[in-house]
Parts: sequence; C-alpha cells; structure tokens
Amino acid sequence: MAFAIQFVIDVLSLGGAYALMALGLVIIYGILRLVNFAYGELIMVAGYTMYLSSGSSLPWLVMAVLAVGMAVLFGILTDYAAFRPVRAKSVTAVLITSFAFSNLLQNAALLFISPRPRNVPLPEIFSQTVSIGGAITPVRNLITIAASIVLLAAVAFLMRKTTLGIAMRAAATNFTMARMLGVPANLIISSAFALSGFLAGVVGILWIGRIGTVVPGIGLEPLLVAFIATVIGGMRSLPGAVVGGFLLALIDTTLNYTLSQDLLKFRDAFTFSLVILILLWRPEGLIKGPASGQRT
Amino acid sequence: MRKTSKLLLAAGLALASSTAFADDEKIVIGGALSMTGIQAPLDTPGYNGAQVAVKFLNDNGGVLGKQVEFINIDGKSDPVTVGNVAVELIDKGAQVIVAPCDFDFGSPASREAQSADIVGISTCASDPLYSSWSLGDKQFTLSMWNTTMGATAADFAVKEKGWKTAYVVTDQFIAYTKSLSKYFVEQFKADGGEILLEDTYTNGDNNFSAQLARLQALGKKPDVIFVSSYGQDIGMIIRALREVGYDAPVLGGDAYDDPAMHETLGEKFGNDVYFVTHTWMGPEAHPDMPKFIELYTAMHGKAPDTSFVSTGWDTIMLIAEAIKAAGSTDGAAVAKALEDGQFKLLTGELDYGTAEEGHVPNKAAAVIELKGGKPSFVGWRKPESLPKP
Repeated sequence: MAFAIQFVIDVLSLGGAYALMALGLVIIYGILRLVNFAYGELIMVAGYTMYLSSGSSLPWLVMAVLAVGMAVLFGILTDYAAFRPVRAKSVTAVLITSFAFSNLLQNAALLFISPRPRNVPLPEIFSQTVSIGGAITPVRNLITIAASIVLLAAVAFLMRKTTLGIAMRAAATNFTMARMLGVPANLIISSAFALSGFLAGVVGILWIGRIGTVVPGIGLEPLLVAFIATVIGGMRSLPGAVVGGFLLALIDTTLNYTLSQDLLKFRDAFTFSLVILILLWRPEGLIKGPASGQRT
Repeated sequence: MRKTSKLLLAAGLALASSTAFADDEKIVIGGALSMTGIQAPLDTPGYNGAQVAVKFLNDNGGVLGKQVEFINIDGKSDPVTVGNVAVELIDKGAQVIVAPCDFDFGSPASREAQSADIVGISTCASDPLYSSWSLGDKQFTLSMWNTTMGATAADFAVKEKGWKTAYVVTDQFIAYTKSLSKYFVEQFKADGGEILLEDTYTNGDNNFSAQLARLQALGKKPDVIFVSSYGQDIGMIIRALREVGYDAPVLGGDAYDDPAMHETLGEKFGNDVYFVTHTWMGPEAHPDMPKFIELYTAMHGKAPDTSFVSTGWDTIMLIAEAIKAAGSTDGAAVAKALEDGQFKLLTGELDYGTAEEGHVPNKAAAVIELKGGKPSFVGWRKPESLPKP
C-alpha cells in the first residue's frame, strides 16, 4: 500500500511539474506556431533572481514573487527581442532568434554571475517530510501537486471565462480572423508570453526546489521535457500539453520502478520508443488542437 | 655545388627555426580550456588558477630566464572546437598544451599536441582513458585516475571506518561517473566489503524516488552509500536519501567538491558526507596553499570559490618544473622530465609512470568530510593497491 501511494505521489508531483512546463511552451506555440527555445532560460532567470535576492533580508515568499515577476518580464522581453521584429518574416528567422536569445541569456549568466552552481534560498518546508499511509514523502512534492492543480485550474478558467483567454484561444484557432474581428495581435502575443513566463517562473521555483542550486544550463532539461510532453499531447492543444506532461511522468516513473538494472541504463531509449509508438498511433498527438489556418 | 646546397640547407634550417620559434624570448603555453558551455564550471577555475601561476612565474624571473606566456582560446565545450583550438595554438607557437578537465573534451587537444610532438596535460581529467596508451607518449593528466579515487574511497570505508556493506548509485552520465563506481566496487569487494545493491540514475532526472523504493525494499540499511553522480544531481540525491531517514555516511568523488552544494545541504543534510578529491584549500594540505590563495585573491579580487583552481596553478607549475629539469621546451625532453620527476604539488605528491605504464599518475588523494554543511580536511590518502584500469 505504501508502495502504491509512493508511486502515485511520484507520478503526480513529477507530472504536475511537467504539465506546467509543457503548458508554458504550448501557449506560445498555439498562437505563433513557433517553439520558444528560450523558454528554459525563463526558469534560469527565476533561479538567478532567487539567488541574487538571497542576500537581502526579504521574506522567502517575496523573493519567490520577485522571481516569478522576473520570469514574466523576461517572457515579455523574449517577445520584444526575439519574436516581434521577425515574426512576420519567416519561421526560420524566429527559430534562430529564439535560439540566439536563449544563448545570450545563458552566456550572460555565465559571464556576469558564474559558470559554477549558485545557491538558491529555500524555505524550511521544502525540506520537510510527511508520512502518508506509511510512505515518507517530501512536503515539496505535495506542494508541487497542489500548485499544479491550482495553476492548471486558473489557466483553464482564464482561457474559458475571461475576454483575454477567449481572445487568445481565438488567435490560436485563426489568427487572421481574430485580428479582423478586432483582437489586438501584439497585446495577445505579449500576454501569451507573459503567461508563459509566469508558468516558467512557478515551475522554476518548484523545479529548483528539488535541486537547491542554479546553473546557466538549468533550463535545458525542462525545455526538453516540455517539448516531448507537448509532442505527445498535441502541439496545439492546451489540455494536450497537460495530458502529455502527466503521461511522460507516468512513463518515466513506471520505467524507473520496473526496469531491471541492466535495462535501466537505457531508460531514455525506452521512453523515446514509447513516444515514437504514441506518435505512430496518433501523429498529431493525443489531443488534436483546433483546426487552424496559417501561421501569422 | 655541394657548398651551395649546404648553404641552402642552412638557410632553410634557419628559416624553419625562425618560424617555429617565432619568439625565442618567451615560453608559450597554449590552453584549450572551455570558458563557455557545459565544461565551463570545471575549466574556468583551472584557467583562473593557471593565470595566477603564470604571473607568479614571470614575477620571479620566468622559466629558463624566459617569460612565460599563457594563451587560452575558448574550447567552447565542444570536442571538435577543442581540437581546432589546439591546432591554432600550436600554429601560434605553443610549446606545451593545457587540455580541458575531462577525457571527452580534453583528449582532442592532447591528440593534436601529440601529433605536433609536444607535451599536453589535462588539468583534471581523471578517467584512466587519459593515458599515454590512448593518447601518446607525451600526454599526461594532472589528476589522479579514477582507479585511485575509487580505491581511496573504498579503502577509507572498509579499512579506516569499518563500513562493510555498501549501496552504490551510478549516474549514467559520462565515462567519469561510470568508471568511478566501477573502481570503488572492485576495491570495496577486494577489501572484503559487501555490495548490497547497485542502482542506476539518469543525470538531470531530479527524481530519486524509484531508487529509494528499491533501497527500502531491500529491508537492510547499508553501512555506507556511494553515489557517483555529477553536478547538481549529487546534492539532490543526498537530500532525497536523508529526507526519508537514510543517515548512513555518503561517499563520493571530486564532483562533490562544490561549495554551492555544501551550502545547499546545509546544517540539516550536510553531515556524514565524505569525498575524495584533488586538494583542500588550507595549509593542512600544502604549506604553500595560503600563499596561493593570497596571490589568487590579489589577482582576481576574490577568494577562490572551488578547490579546482589549484589544478590550474599546479598544471602550469608542473610544466615549468619539467621545462627547467629538461633545460628546453622540446616535447620529448619535457615528457621525459615529467616521467622522471617527483613533484610536490598543491594537489598532492605526483610521480608519473613511464609511457609503457600509461603515464599512470601515482598521486595522493585528499579526503574531505562534510559536517553541518561545512567541509573539513580528513587527510591525504594513498591506496596501497589499485584496481586495474
């Protein structure tokens, strides 16, 4: 029983983090049809903000809010620096600029802070454990689950019930049509980047909460996870990203628990084989996004 | 006729020597260390330490009466770039090459150095692949091999502490993480210890729960836990173990030598952690250490943030000593001086094996203990026997 509880908590906490990462990526992709390769760096920005503010005597919660705020700011900055100037020109150009922006941020951290890991302050609760039905679980896993439920619900509400959300979904379905009906393109895109930055900031704190330190390359793993999760779930569907995130966590955790030692070395090969199988079965991902016209 | 050809030959030789030794007034050491990318956390400290050593040498009259020039071109953590950079450095007149701190990233520089018949030294590559067997008779690494690192850890556990049962976690990240576990396990068994469980971890997972479940299913608590991982994952694994109540001592290699990790573990989790590394930044390790730290602080404006800086200092000082002993910068002569010499370095006493022996670095290893998140020096250790590489 304890084992089952442990397994479920593992899947949910990892899946929650993965789902949030994927959601942040797919919000941009849904509207612009472009992968934001600088997405991982937003997590890095959140981490370094925590590190830089650790010298001050601010309460941890304020630092966390500051970190998320910086991630939002850099999300919007990504739009202005990498996307807006070349958005209308070509897909390739935006791909390159988003790579360049990612590289720029990473190297800025490397030059101005340090290539060595830096400490991130964590509240006491992040290193406490509780016993649930015999399974000893770190509280931060429960926080991750709670945070992902709240945020996923909030994003769902935003997307369904608010004008901004409806406009964003309209832009994701048919951008030209949405613009003709008076949806301001730049505002919608900037909002999407801000929301993406917000999710990256929260996920960054939860992710770095597992590690305790930040390095310039910290965003690579979350970007990869988010990318795979969105591919499984459907590149253009918000629920798809969430499903993809949880499914990837389920696959990874199950393989981690069940593979023998000799095979465990090749776990990633198994994971990706499964991803390929899923894509062969559902080439568009598990959940198909809105039928759509052209990229804008 | 013969006279003219001789004359031509002489002229040709003169010309050749004038290009090869463009500047006879200085000794040029070329560095292919990576200032950017994944290798930067290990190479940047080495570079900073090397700069201090070069300044120290030049302030004290240079080597063989010549000034030393250290030119580093960013290897960008890319093996191909590292190789190209080495070629460029050799073209610029580098007489010795300093290679990055890892076999995968450093070996291309050493291969280029070997084909130019000059000495190449990696600052801290510890995989036994970094040998004259695989790279050539003029190639060395300043670091002990993982055979020494793993054996020191095993001897320390069994012979010194009496820990008889071990749980071993191996990160599948790079050659370093895999071979370190391998040599630890070999030596641990040879010393009469028992391995309860060997488990696998994937770098970057940030999730150790499945491994914990297997450890818990074992029903026995090990005397010691050996974790061979890399980077930030080490701290995460130790925390995960401690959180669920595994308070057995944790043992590891030089990847643990990271002040940020010590601080993260803090008072709560940073206890009973031991690791085998290159040196300790205090006078207990070497009488010259405080002087080095002083010089370093004067040059860089802040105290070293990792002990890896001393590998850079040592590499340059080792090269300088070898050039002095050889009386020239000729590759074969310097290599011979390195093989013959015995060196008392900040990172331990060093005595290289011959080229037939793979240039095995017979070196002492520093054992460090973590108490309340603060490191302290246990002492130098040198295993009596080593597992075969």
